[in-house]
Amino acid sequence: MSVSNLLENWSQVRHEHPVNDKPHDPYKWAMAIDLDACTGCNACSVACYAENNIPVVGKERFQHGQQMHWLRVERYWEEDSREFPDQGFQFLPMMCQQCEAAPCETVCPVAATNHTADGLNSQIYNRCIGSRYCSANCPFKVRYFNWYDYPTDEMVWPAEMTQQMNPDVSVRSKGVMEKCTFCVQRLSAAKVVAKGEGRIVREGEVQTACQQSCPTGAISFGNLVNPESRVHKQWAAQQVVLDADKQAKDEKEEGPGLRGYRILEELRAYPSVMYLERVRESAV
Amino acid sequence: MIDSGSVKQLAGHPFDRRDFLKVLGWSGAAVALSGCGNTSIEDGKETVVSYVEANDYMVPGIGVYYNSTCAQCDAGCSINGRVREGRVLKLEGNPDSAINKGKLCGLGQAGVQHHYNPDRVREPLLRNGNKGETISWDKAYALIAEKLSGVKGEEIAFLSGGVSGHLKALLGNYLDSLGTKNHFVYEAVAPGVVRAANVKAYGVEMPRYRFDKAQVVLSFGADFLGSWVSPVHFSQQYAQFRKGVNGQRGVLVQVESKMTLTGANADRWLAVKPGTEGVLALGIINALGIATGEVAELVKGYDRARVSSETGVAPGQIDKIAALLKLRSPSLVLAGSAAEGYAHGSQNAAAIHLLNQVLGNVGKTVEAPVSVPFPQMAPAKGNTAALKTLNDGLAAGKYKVLFNFAANPVFTAPGAFKFKDNLAKAGFKVAFAHYLDETALQADLVLPLDSAMEDWGTQVPEYMTEGAQINIQQPLMERLHANTRGMGDIVLTLIKQRRADEYKAFEDYYAYLRGAMLQNKGALGGGGVDDDTFWNETLTQGIVKLAGSTGTLTAHAAAAGLTLPAPAASDEQYPLHLIPGVTASLRDGRHTNQPWLQESPDPLTTIVWDSWVEVHPKKATELGIVEGDIVEVTSKTGSVKAQVYLFPGIHPEAISIPVGRGHDAMGRYAKGYGVNPFQIMDAVFDAATGELAMHETRVNIKKTGQRVLVVKDEGSAGALQMGRKIAARVSTDQVDLSKEV
Repeated sequence: MSVSNLLENWSQVRHEHPVNDKPHDPYKWAMAIDLDACTGCNACSVACYAENNIPVVGKERFQHGQQMHWLRVERYWEEDSREFPDQGFQFLPMMCQQCEAAPCETVCPVAATNHTADGLNSQIYNRCIGSRYCSANCPFKVRYFNWYDYPTDEMVWPAEMTQQMNPDVSVRSKGVMEKCTFCVQRLSAAKVVAKGEGRIVREGEVQTACQQSCPTGAISFGNLVNPESRVHKQWAAQQVVLDADKQAKDEKEEGPGLRGYRILEELRAYPSVMYLERVRESAV
Repeated sequence: MIDSGSVKQLAGHPFDRRDFLKVLGWSGAAVALSGCGNTSIEDGKETVVSYVEANDYMVPGIGVYYNSTCAQCDAGCSINGRVREGRVLKLEGNPDSAINKGKLCGLGQAGVQHHYNPDRVREPLLRNGNKGETISWDKAYALIAEKLSGVKGEEIAFLSGGVSGHLKALLGNYLDSLGTKNHFVYEAVAPGVVRAANVKAYGVEMPRYRFDKAQVVLSFGADFLGSWVSPVHFSQQYAQFRKGVNGQRGVLVQVESKMTLTGANADRWLAVKPGTEGVLALGIINALGIATGEVAELVKGYDRARVSSETGVAPGQIDKIAALLKLRSPSLVLAGSAAEGYAHGSQNAAAIHLLNQVLGNVGKTVEAPVSVPFPQMAPAKGNTAALKTLNDGLAAGKYKVLFNFAANPVFTAPGAFKFKDNLAKAGFKVAFAHYLDETALQADLVLPLDSAMEDWGTQVPEYMTEGAQINIQQPLMERLHANTRGMGDIVLTLIKQRRADEYKAFEDYYAYLRGAMLQNKGALGGGGVDDDTFWNETLTQGIVKLAGSTGTLTAHAAAAGLTLPAPAASDEQYPLHLIPGVTASLRDGRHTNQPWLQESPDPLTTIVWDSWVEVHPKKATELGIVEGDIVEVTSKTGSVKAQVYLFPGIHPEAISIPVGRGHDAMGRYAKGYGVNPFQIMDAVFDAATGELAMHETRVNIKKTGQRVLVVKDEGSAGALQMGRKIAARVSTDQVDLSKEV
């Protein structure tokens, strides 16, 4: 594609998301994570390993920053100089935020990462050439690169362990970028069933692996377009709007009592994950 | 839940052959049809499952779900195993279980890696010098019979972890047939002292806690979200507790010297001086000012000034907590492992229970548990006191035959026990083992066990919820290795050596289990149903729900006999308390060879694949230590060397090393990673129960001069957000939770 052609037909080549001319219909997958319910237990992260054939890289590669956890639980404490973290820690499950205007998508030289009609940021493994531009451009640092050919590594996947692999999820080889897919294999299966029955996927019919395991039910996931979905109701109650870059909460006068927010909202990546602030009792 | 190819989905959507070829893709079809190229149909044929003879339910590409029970800890969560092409792929929670309601923790999910572990023992092994020689099962059984002949009952000992259900009953019968009463039940990490204190205060070992009804939870070191009793169930109750009623969110206050996962989730986390938990409890009773009679008399001396100076908690904080507890009722006060880990652990727990009593919580948030109609199947429990008795017997050379099942005492016994040396004095040691762990390596005969995904069984959890339940464990797939056996089958074979006539009707443990269940069909809710229907129903559900009876709590916490010792004098040589950290994913270290757990970052430090020494930053400055310094931690019993992590969630007078790592055997993912703090634990016991006081070991730390990069998940900014709003929080007066969805 010549540069002139690219510039002339920019709108055809690169959709701005969220788009009004091609609205998400009937699906827009989204999430809400209640940080007040999240205990930081890591069940979600292990569920993700089990569901998505994620390699366990081992101590040395972990030290090199080559860990592959699609879903990590971040942990923070107060930045002031008090002696103890006496209001506890802050935990935050962090995975691909499935941005509507994803910074990773624009820099991929081969369009291996792109936007699907149901609002996912998808990664096409066999198109990826491993430039790693997407990872460099991701503000959330949730893209993971295969520095090694893990499936053939005897320490990562000895013969017995390969039998555990999920046949619905591709095994990735060396040189390929990967990340959270919102368990797209589960979404596809549910959509196929629904389509066969001439309806759309019902609320609760499909769960992501992390959501399914979470002991406190901190993660909700569903179709944001469906007004019946819990995730839709949560976003609405918190007045978080998908294609806005300033939410009601940020407007001081209008937004007291709300705790829904998106991380790094000011970057205008329009993430599909809303977090609910952790609450701490003021009386003690 | 929709599987990407569940049976439900297949119904009404028959695959036609054309679609099948489409799915297969051209290249696949070409190979399959022409057989040309490098691939021959004969290659690897032994690994191909024949669908000509497959079971009816097995359809390629279609997942089937079976209910069973998680065996990774003894909380008894029900699992739902996804099986495709005869292989178990993933474990999920069974939504019908009142315990875990469809949820499952990371430890539980890693159960598949227990099953598929490459380091499992696959053949019976007999010691020949330093090597294990493969022998047949027949020979192994004959050898056991030979070694047992002429041996008196009191010369035989059986050590096991917690067992319940039919296996417990069968094992009891076997030990009976041997004429021995020496069944030592040992769980290294168990609430032994709290159980005894509960009996005194509530009349039961483990009451039912109602987090969901409490408005305030005040926990003295009970890590109920991480590793205490039934964490998945408690986590669900915790979520309800946080939501509260009408937007009135539950408040969690955690008191402990080393922050646990639960402490990290507290609204207020109080770092008390190690061992002063009971003092703080009495101080709060004093501050409440509602106690009368002998309780008032007891707490009279515990005024703010004294309590504050002994515990290190600010006087104003004590008042705030007392005020909150008065304002919001009912509350729930818990005594956990941090309180029980001292020589006066029982007294600590008694003081804490007394606070619960004074607040009027007993009967409201502490309820009587449902009783199991079959007491012979209730879990056998035990802590380190049992191991101590065994250890003393071994040291005296009392035992000619020792069996070991589901325990790894060579790894978990406190170093001061010198358990490995004493074990060598036993005549013939049989280990029923999954891995060649530290204890199995000392055995004369190692018998390989089936995994929980290959074996039959029943399990009765210690902590019941809405009703009583018996959990069913059933194979989710065929045996991976031809020569492993289920523990039930082994015990059945052994008991047939003694009482052939009584057990000849049972061909295998499955037959025994089925027979035993059907015999009690009526009591198990299957009255009037035919045997096959009842049995199939039972296996399908994976749970037998019983109408257990709920009594009332009989006992009453009292002030009589409650005395707390004066604060411990400082020890010049060993100035620091060693607090063994029990983590949700590794617990006592029996599952360390599961790589998901090794690579799952510790929630508090984010460290992976290694042990660490938690040191408070203030203390570290004083000692000139920085992150990554290798320090030598020395107690009276021994020393270990490990990397330092600067951690603000620990009292400056204490350090903490997590347990579970530091294996020198077990398998490729466990061996050689980290250090084992059990090795340096002193033999100090709780005065009332004789259980090991796990927090009483005193240590000193010395720099070795070496330094490493700590392998952890957090970035270079550590725990700081650098002014960005990543993980945000808000105080309760700023939000209105009543309008939330």
